[in-house]
Formats: sequence, structure tokens, C-alpha cells
Amino acid sequence: MLKLKSNVAISESGFVFDAGTGDSFSLNATGLEIVQLIQAGKDFPEILKILSEKYEVDPESFERYYYDFVATLKQMNLFVHHGEE
Amino acid sequence: MSKLTFERPIIQRINAGLPSKYGMPRRLEPLSQIDGVSIESLLQEFGSPLFILSEQTIRKTYREAYRAFSSRYPKVQFSWSYKTNYLNAVCNIFHQEGAWAEVVSGFEFQKALANGVPGELIIFNGPDKSREDLKMAIQHQSLIHIDHFDELYDVIHLSKEMEERPKVAIRVNLDTGIYPLWDRFGFNFENGEAGDALTRIMSSERLDLVGLHTHIGTYMLSTDAYRIAATKLASLAVKLERKYGHLIQYIDMGGGFASKNTLKGAYYPGTDTAPSFDDFAEAITSALMSSDIKPDHLPMLILETGRALIDDAGYLAGTVLATKRLSDGRRATIIDAGVNLLFTSFWYDHDIRPVAPVSDQSEDTTIFGPLCMNIDVIRSNMMFPLLKKGDRFVVRRVGAYNMTQWMQFITFRPTVILLDKEGKPHVIRKKESLETFNSQELTPDHLKDFDL
Repeated sequence: MLKLKSNVAISESGFVFDAGTGDSFSLNATGLEIVQLIQAGKDFPEILKILSEKYEVDPESFERYYYDFVATLKQMNLFVHHGEE
Repeated sequence: MSKLTFERPIIQRINAGLPSKYGMPRRLEPLSQIDGVSIESLLQEFGSPLFILSEQTIRKTYREAYRAFSSRYPKVQFSWSYKTNYLNAVCNIFHQEGAWAEVVSGFEFQKALANGVPGELIIFNGPDKSREDLKMAIQHQSLIHIDHFDELYDVIHLSKEMEERPKVAIRVNLDTGIYPLWDRFGFNFENGEAGDALTRIMSSERLDLVGLHTHIGTYMLSTDAYRIAATKLASLAVKLERKYGHLIQYIDMGGGFASKNTLKGAYYPGTDTAPSFDDFAEAITSALMSSDIKPDHLPMLILETGRALIDDAGYLAGTVLATKRLSDGRRATIIDAGVNLLFTSFWYDHDIRPVAPVSDQSEDTTIFGPLCMNIDVIRSNMMFPLLKKGDRFVVRRVGAYNMTQWMQFITFRPTVILLDKEGKPHVIRKKESLETFNSQELTPDHLKDFDL
């Protein structure tokens, strides 16, 4: 399961600070919602259900954008790798 | 309760420190209408991608340019540069406004004639004029702008053969203080070649020397270069009058005025740096008026500017095909119009915008065309809103050269429409079809069948 690094802080406005590297990032509103749901331990089917009830988006498009987004978060080293922590 | 609009989730690294030389990223405003007509509805009606031209903008720009020159100089004539955009409807708008035709090939010459331009109002430029082309121009008493001595002798021979008196001008290249020096068109001023050509024409007594022409460059951001060029051409005219008592009828300053597009690598956007028509007009007309040409002998001033007259009136609208991530995490957006249609994206950073408001967010994006080629890049590294598959985009200022230099490669060239003064769309060039191409091909009998 996806887990954010413990030293990554996320504000209510979507500002992300990685205390481990000093890097900071900004999330848009949808990005913030997804990250908060991941933090709350939700998996993809649950996140899909929650967001597709709220937004005008079909499941297929959402799936594409979701995995693309998650891949970007991984590239930015915000998730815990297997075997860490 | 209706659902909220979905925006693609993104995360962006924040780079601390000073803004780059481009300043803080600015929000790209969407462009949803042209002359009050919805771009989305035009795409739905005529297909995507789609070239859209605004008749209103063409006429407005022409009148602005004409006013700039005619308010400063007694005799001004524009001549529409066919190579910039030779769609018949476009040419005819300029002809309706009073512009003659300026052509650079036999094909363009025939196009101008077919449009109904009287032969004597066609200026024939360019380095490639076949004997047949020259004959046609002489028969129509067109204005032949001689590019080199081989052509000059061809015209002299033809004048004997046809027992006609061709109307000619010489093309002069000169040092205007800009780099690179455009010395490939016509006869050089500084080394005396232009003077020799004039002497040859006058001594032949078979040609009617009517004008002097120069074309100093393209996308010129310096008005001073035009002032120098006009001064030098005026000095040639004075010499002709002094030596032969011959008065020329016109000085043709060519084209090359910059449009408001931004050149790649430019520090400031073209909208801030391109001189206005008034700036160009002031440089050229003040040089002619202050020359030694006698006031009552001032020749007509001809201008062949193309790019600056049509670029603003052209738009290319289309659809996002896909988005993907590149190896370094940057966003790539693939659109349905590539460098095959937008040849000018090789040298401009085109102004490309979403058609509908999508998002306040933007990402560092590279915009690729649909061609199966690595060079098919419309914009590299621009901050662009989060468009997704199916969203529409529009590229501004594409009226010059794209509809003449476009390439037919792996797909058809799209429909071109013109919005008239009331905003009513007219198809002025149909989308090509398989038939368009197959009708030009011939397959030998032994290659017509095969078994697989």
C-alpha cells in the first residue's frame, strides 16, 4: 500500500514540504484531496468512489490521471519505498 | 446537486529564489472566440484541426498599414505578397482593398491572373523566372523585377523576339547595417553592380526602366535598415535622372516587416519589440522625402509587406490527443496539428492557448504534434494549463506562410475557413482527401495487382 514518508508535511492549502530533502511542492485541489485520502489509508477503488461522486469524471479517465499522478509523486520521492522505515 | 468540474491532479516542485529572466509565471488566458464566434462551435462544424482567418482583422491591419504610409507620402501602393498566403479568398480581400499582386513564380503569376488582377498590376519578383514565365509577363505588360544578369539578357532577347518593350525594374541588394547581409537577391549597390545593370538597361534601349526594388530581409526589427535602404535607392534614382534624364515611376521597398510573433530565443515578446507600421513608414518616407529627388519627381512608393499584414488574422485551432510524462517528469501534450501545418513553429515561440477555461494551474509542458517524428515540437518548455484528451487549443498569429509552406505528410491538410465581416464562416479551402492525392498518381499496369 502507498504510504507517504513520515517527514513529509502537507498543509491544508496544498503546500508540501519534505523535511528530508528540503524540497517543497504545491498540489492543486484535486491533487490535495487524493493525497489526503492516500494518507488516510484509502486504496484506489475507495478514492475513485469518493471522487467520482463529487466530480464530473468517468472512472476510466480518473484511473489514468490517478496512476499518472501517483507516478509523479513517486518520482518526487514522496512515498516510502519497500523496506524503508 | 450537479457535480464539480474535474481538474487533473498535479504536484509541482516549488523553485525558491529569484524569478527567471521571464519573470513570474503568468496565467495563460483562454481564447474561446474569434470575432465573437465560438471556436468550439467552429471545430464541431468543420472538424479538427482547423485554420481560421478573420476578414475583419485582415482589412483592419491593411488599412492601418496604408494609413501609416499614405499619411506621410503622396503616392503609396501596396502589393500583396502571394507567397505569404495565396489562398484566393485572402488575395482577393487585399485586391479589394486596393493592393496589386506581387508574385515570385509562374504558378503565382497565373494565380494572380486567374484572380482577375490586370497583368500590368502584377509585380514579378524572385530568382526563378523561366523563359515561358518571362514571355507571359511581357505579354501582360507586368512589372518584371530583374534579379540577375542572366535574366536581364533573357529579357533583352525576348524583347527583340517578341517585338515588345518590357517594363522592368532591378532588384538591388545593399548594406543596411544589419547582419546577415541579404545579398542573394538582385544586384549589389556598394560594388557598383546595380549601377552596371542600370547602364546596361538604358543602353539596350529596348526595355522600359520603370522602378527600383529592394528586399532587405525578413522579420526585420530595425526600422533604421529601411531608412538606409530607401536613402540608397533614392540616390540611384537621382543618378539615373542626372545621367540619362530618366525618371523612374516607383521605388519598391519590398517587405520583411516583423509581425508580433516572438522569435525563439528572443528576450522580450514580439508584441513588445515589433515596430509599428508608423515606425516603418516614418523611416522609409522621411528618407525619400529628404533625398535629392526633386519634390515633383517623387516616385510612387510600393510596399510588398506580407507577414505583418496577415499573421494576426490567422488562427489554428485543434484538439489535444493525449498527455504523457517525459523521462524527467515533465508533461508532454500531444495535439492534432504538427509542424506539417505549423511550419513557423521552427522559428517562433507561438502563442498557444486553451479554448475553454480549464484550470488556474499550469505545468511545465512540451507540446508535440501528431507526426511520427522527433522534430515535431510546437512548443518546448512552456507553462501551460492542464489540458486533457479532447480539450481544444488555439494557436494565434499563424496567418503568414503556414498556408503556403505547409507539408502534406502522413495526413491531409485541413479545412481553412474565413470569418467574414459579420462573423459568418466560409470554407475557403477544403480538407484534402485520399482522392486529392490519388488523382495525381499513375500506377503502371504491371503494378496494379498483387496477391498476398
